[in-house]
Amino acid sequence: MTPLFNDDFQELPLKRALAQVMAKREAGAKVVGAYCSYAPVEVVWAMGGVPAVLCAFSNAPIAKAEETLPVNLCPLIKSSFGFIELKTCPFFELTDAVVGETTCDGKKKMFELIQEHRPLYVMDLPQCPTNEGAVAYWRHSVNGFKKFLEGTFATTISDAALEESIRECNRKNRLVEQIFAFGACAPAVITWQELYAVATYAMSAHGPEAIAQLEEIIATLTARREQKLYTSPEGTKRVLITGCPVGGDVLKVLKLVDEEGAAIVGLDSCTGLKPYANVTEEGTGDPLLAIAKRYLQIPCACMTPNTGRFDVLKQQVESLKPDLVIDLVLQSCHTYNVEAVKVESYVREDLGTNYLKVVTDFSQQDLGQLKTRIAAALEMS
Amino acid sequence: MLLHGQTRTVLDRFQAETSINLSSQLSLIKEQYTWNHLVSTGYGRQLAQKVLGGDVITEIKAYTTAAHHFHPAIDTVIDLGGQDTKALSINRTSGQLHKFEMNDKCSAGTGKFFEMMASSLGLSLDELVTEALRGSRSVEINSTCTVFAESEVITLLTSGVALADIARAIHEALLTKLVSLLSKVMRSDTAQILFVGGGAKNRAMVQLLTEALNRQVIVPEHPDFYGAYGAAIHAIQSTR
Repeated sequence: MTPLFNDDFQELPLKRALAQVMAKREAGAKVVGAYCSYAPVEVVWAMGGVPAVLCAFSNAPIAKAEETLPVNLCPLIKSSFGFIELKTCPFFELTDAVVGETTCDGKKKMFELIQEHRPLYVMDLPQCPTNEGAVAYWRHSVNGFKKFLEGTFATTISDAALEESIRECNRKNRLVEQIFAFGACAPAVITWQELYAVATYAMSAHGPEAIAQLEEIIATLTARREQKLYTSPEGTKRVLITGCPVGGDVLKVLKLVDEEGAAIVGLDSCTGLKPYANVTEEGTGDPLLAIAKRYLQIPCACMTPNTGRFDVLKQQVESLKPDLVIDLVLQSCHTYNVEAVKVESYVREDLGTNYLKVVTDFSQQDLGQLKTRIAAALEMS
Repeated sequence: MLLHGQTRTVLDRFQAETSINLSSQLSLIKEQYTWNHLVSTGYGRQLAQKVLGGDVITEIKAYTTAAHHFHPAIDTVIDLGGQDTKALSINRTSGQLHKFEMNDKCSAGTGKFFEMMASSLGLSLDELVTEALRGSRSVEINSTCTVFAESEVITLLTSGVALADIARAIHEALLTKLVSLLSKVMRSDTAQILFVGGGAKNRAMVQLLTEALNRQVIVPEHPDFYGAYGAAIHAIQSTR
């Protein structure tokens, strides 16, 4: 079967992303580290910069982080912070500036602890996105970020450059959506490892090169579908992963699904389709407002109400037809953990699909229990 | 557990403590028994399949199968095992599992908790149960984490609280956990709860659970074999 990427990074999506960032940096681009899908990457690209995702999913630096941070904190925050303390995060080491958002309390306060390392801008994210004034306020944050970049790198970011960046990102995002839509094929023609690789690649890819690569992937997937080259046999149980972002050591959950002989056909999280969904309106005359509007539509559990999450779940379940929805919650992520109550009821009662909530961290300590729970949920489906 | 294919009567049943060399223990089974169809369940299911062949099902499915077979009127099962505590909701008509809840990780709130607490009090498991039945509800232990609970127990001991009351509090702590798990799956019209797993042999726990739920708690004859029953019944059903 033809791999989706024809390079030396098969099954190493993070190494590929690192190579992308390094190549752009060597060509003179400023690297802007980001911790979340709310970081408006259009502004970074418009400056001629490159975004790099700093969210870490490795258990290794957590012990270091716990020398400073409380133990009962989100593992993603601890891992990201531990890497910075140990100076072993290659992505952070490459950054020229960092942007954070006030998505959650843990991250917000962690940013204060890393601000001495890099020029840092924290965007204040309104968390009632439908309240009056929320979009206007968020536009101020986007503008503040733009000014921060302009000041830090002694440059200007024109409206024309923002418009161009919006167009390029929209084009790229539509292609990523098309790739994720192949998850609807039954039997499957794309694996979760490939979906994850595409999502990781697209974060630090831009312009004609990115478009060509993504179009090539679509051609490869179309050929698989036409030639009936399936990634799992007919009748394989199908799983949609929703919830917190995943990667690195927490991929243990996704690997257990593989071990139990099921196929993950959708990744509905910030390390999946979420950062690429929705369209930024083009040619409005106020690109910052257009960006602000689009980003406030991201259905993260930090928002209330977060009705968009349910719209996306409905659309994903209807198109991907999963037998089981796994809601993956990182320990101490209160918003996803509490929202799971509504998600469970919606998935079970309204969508008629089996549901399993998994609360976990980056350690291996719960592998036995997780295996039993995932296997049992698949037996039921 | 060896079940007769037609009559479904128990031909043989045996239990062994797990050793560090589970593979060789399993190999002994191969030498001593013969069977037509084998299904393994529980934490060692994959290893058992490797050594002995046959199929695997999770203990959740095994409990569901056995519960519906032996107690078709039951819709709620609680399993208090050594590693896990699970609450199951079963569709009475179809016998299918509707929903389950279990502990995320570690042995907090499982049968292991009793073993550890008994040992920190210098009692056998039986003695702990006997003490609990004598004790009254004078103190509380809030943790079902063995490490934290042990420090609570030591604090109580050193403040002169009666052993029986501490034993009772240990049971109450676990009871809270069981009731919380059950409340997530139990229906308003659930009249009976099936209590299985090794923990169901604990008389104090059965009594406390009955009082707390205000429902009939049924303990089958060999609650610690219930998963094995389910696996054996599944083996028979799946070969039909």
